Amino acid sequence: MKRTHFLAGAAALVASAALPSLAAAQVQVGAIEILTGPAAAYGIAIKAGLDLALAEVNAKGVLGGQKIVLTVEDSAGNKDQAINAARKLIGRDKAVIIIGPTLSNEMFAVGPVTNERKVPTVGTSTTAAGITEMGPYIFRTSLPESDVVPVTFKKAQARGVKTIALMYANDDAFSKSGFDVMKAAAEKLGLKILTIETFGSKDTDFAAQLTKIKALKPDAIGISALVEPVSGVVLQARQLGIGKETLLLGGNGANSPKLGDIAGAAADGMLVGSPWFIAKPDAVNTKFVADFKAKYGKDPDQFAAQAYDTMKIVAQAIDRAGAADSEKITAALGKTDFSGVMGPFKFTAGRDPASSEGVVVLEMRGGKFAIAQ
Amino acid sequence: MPVWLDDFLWTYQNVVYALGINGLLALSMYVVLAVGQLSLGQAAFMGMGAYSSALLTLKLHLPFAVVLPAATIPPVLFALAIGTPTLRLSGVYLAIATIGLGEVLRAVYLNVDALGGALGISGIPERAGMVSIYGLLIVALAVLWLVARSGIGRAMEAMREDEIAAAVMGVNVRRYRLGALLASAVLAGAAGALSAHVSSFIGPNEYGFEPAVTILSYALLGGISSPFAPVAGAWILTLLPEALRGFADLRLVFNGLIIVVVVLFLPNGLLPLRMRRWVK
Amino acid sequence: MLAQQLINGVLLGSTYALFALGFTLMFGVLKVVNLTYGFYFSAGAFFALHLTKQWGWPIAAALPAAAAASGVLAVVLDWLLLTRLRRINAPELSSLMVTLGAVLALYAGMTTWLGPDIRRLPAGVLGGEALVLGELRITQAQILILLATAVLVGGLLALMRLTPIGLALRAMAEKPDAAGLMGIDTAKLAALVSLVCGALAGAGGVLIGLNFNAIQPYMGEAMMLRGFVVIIIGGLGDVRGALIAGLLLGVVETLTAGYIDSGLKEAVAFIMLVAVLWTRPSGLFGRAHIQRA
Repeated sequence: MKRTHFLAGAAALVASAALPSLAAAQVQVGAIEILTGPAAAYGIAIKAGLDLALAEVNAKGVLGGQKIVLTVEDSAGNKDQAINAARKLIGRDKAVIIIGPTLSNEMFAVGPVTNERKVPTVGTSTTAAGITEMGPYIFRTSLPESDVVPVTFKKAQARGVKTIALMYANDDAFSKSGFDVMKAAAEKLGLKILTIETFGSKDTDFAAQLTKIKALKPDAIGISALVEPVSGVVLQARQLGIGKETLLLGGNGANSPKLGDIAGAAADGMLVGSPWFIAKPDAVNTKFVADFKAKYGKDPDQFAAQAYDTMKIVAQAIDRAGAADSEKITAALGKTDFSGVMGPFKFTAGRDPASSEGVVVLEMRGGKFAIAQ
Repeated sequence: MPVWLDDFLWTYQNVVYALGINGLLALSMYVVLAVGQLSLGQAAFMGMGAYSSALLTLKLHLPFAVVLPAATIPPVLFALAIGTPTLRLSGVYLAIATIGLGEVLRAVYLNVDALGGALGISGIPERAGMVSIYGLLIVALAVLWLVARSGIGRAMEAMREDEIAAAVMGVNVRRYRLGALLASAVLAGAAGALSAHVSSFIGPNEYGFEPAVTILSYALLGGISSPFAPVAGAWILTLLPEALRGFADLRLVFNGLIIVVVVLFLPNGLLPLRMRRWVK
Repeated sequence: MLAQQLINGVLLGSTYALFALGFTLMFGVLKVVNLTYGFYFSAGAFFALHLTKQWGWPIAAALPAAAAASGVLAVVLDWLLLTRLRRINAPELSSLMVTLGAVLALYAGMTTWLGPDIRRLPAGVLGGEALVLGELRITQAQILILLATAVLVGGLLALMRLTPIGLALRAMAEKPDAAGLMGIDTAKLAALVSLVCGALAGAGGVLIGLNFNAIQPYMGEAMMLRGFVVIIIGGLGDVRGALIAGLLLGVVETLTAGYIDSGLKEAVAFIMLVAVLWTRPSGLFGRAHIQRA
């Protein structure tokens, strides 16, 4: 994979050097994702989704046959590298639009920079509160948690949940924002919050917190964290004898096939709200899943799906803008009316996704997600 | 200014700032290494400077000229708390005691709401720039260069070569070590304050183990024969990943290998500028 | 609840102790704070993962094989990184720095090669069912960790106290130069210590990976910081001290999270470390390591 990538890069270099006329008919799009380091799994999934969509887009081209050149820069999850990447993409590669960065923390650092240069920036995985408020050029296609979690909690309430314990990873912006939303949703629905426990994203031992929760006998436990710690919490909850009578509720982070891979049957019965579902039966989605599997040999996750749609949304906006011009693309993005693997998509005036209709509540069964009844 | 030059400067503005800030961080490691000690708390000191400066600017609206020196106070206090017991012991104790410092402070940033928790602190105004960053770097370099040429510098070198002999010759080893650690905390704290005021956002996860090792690799690559060498080391290691973006996967591997190779084969660093020769 | 929390604490503590055993031994005998130690921990878990997953070995065979492979890896890395420094009698900080650089490169290289994902041992490698004693629950993996910790500590103490090799090791720990003069082959012993410590780390990685069912390249780094605290509290080089300090840290962390605030759990280790450094710098049970200067 590395080698083909390198060769493709070399070929592109040669081509652009030899044929300057071709180079002029390209649209430069930048992406900033985490490709190395401990959080690389997310960035790699996103890059896979972007690349898959890009191949389809470039089969036809945009603006009457021009190719989109996607330059993906690695941020390694590091704020400074993300800023450098943004400055390089805009200043040197002349990217007219930027996709990413991966984490909300990185977006908080990159947003002011791209906004200053009036280059539209579209987050595909940044769900924290306050992202799009940074400026009129900051968009996101990922549903903020505040659109997803309440749907899950309502489903839980319908199943008779009255008391809840909340757990969250207190060391990343994503999990903390998700928790804030869970707390608000529980309060709004009148669920009694028995306790709030925290842990670290890299922790592997949650026994102390779970033992405390078990003694309080809540009807449900809401967990806001990335999928790896969530799986650990779920596994240990079962080991400590927290049975099926306690409903487990996950946030956006739990919405990954890895939950089943890591936690297996222990995760059965867990409810997770999701803007996307791998087994969604519509033709666009089945094609996406099949193509993704054929190209990468594994199931796509939500991050790949969001990236896939985002690349197409971006390509359409460039097309409708009529020119590779940041200002025009920003205006065109605002008027997005798209239907992709996530369902119908529009932006609000605040540049967040407009509709949460696509949200489904999933239930783990036998290590796989299925639509919750 | 022509557009391309403007674009060029804009593109590399963050890199240019980072060169200055990382130079200060390399110096903060240099002063500790120069007395034969190893501190892995530089990133933690930097974080304390960054957080306290951001709070002073955002909550108390103090001018940056006040914020910058004030932000060095918390790291100095922490350096005292950790340095006083450990500097009595052999060198590994300071290294080990400081290796965890970043992690603990991370826990503090995460659990104290006023510090922003996991969301960090955003919207910090851009108060630092070329003048403050490079002004401070030049001042620090000048002071350290003068110190290295003075009797203090010779005492430090004696400690580094043979501590016991130095003590016998009347060098107050413990006082020098503590002084070096405090100076190091000041430099790292100031670097943190500067970096917070050029990048608008600081988060709790930026001052842990890996940046600490990276700062060490700056100083080791350059060597500690003169204060200019670690700064040069920092510049090389800051520019290299920008130049070799294609090898991004291997950046951390490379940083690590530099430390290995330098310690094993180039004990004076890549740039063994022997200052004694200039002086004599 | 208190009883369960104490069990939780002891279990967590025994994972710390298991990790710290080889770490503290390496320091005690070789006088090296060897930061590559955490990497053997990750490597052991990955060896076991490969053996059980690709080759279908039972865990009873994969565990010792993974431990042995980690041990060999430790010997090789020790030879590559530290023989030269030992020969020129370099200061202890040099070896700390060299292993620090090496471990950063190793983790990053492993992540590039294998990917950062968490992996798990195949289901059914070890029964997931917990043993239920009234209100208390303990899993088979946890029992295995407790037993392994007990066996390894007992074995190590017996090795150090009762065998000729142990005598040679203790001689080397006290006065390496004199030991060399007395005809002890210090190079061979150093390799032996690396082998044993690497194997201990590898076994620890397998067991802890099994317990939390999560194996990933950086798992050793996460243990490293706790490992430092344990070996300082226990006294550098003190096997028994590492055991007690590990258990103590596990119990205090668990009780803090269970009864005070889970947010404080992270800070417990460091507060204990600073308290020990101020009051008993050579460890709770250790002899003085204070320098003459």
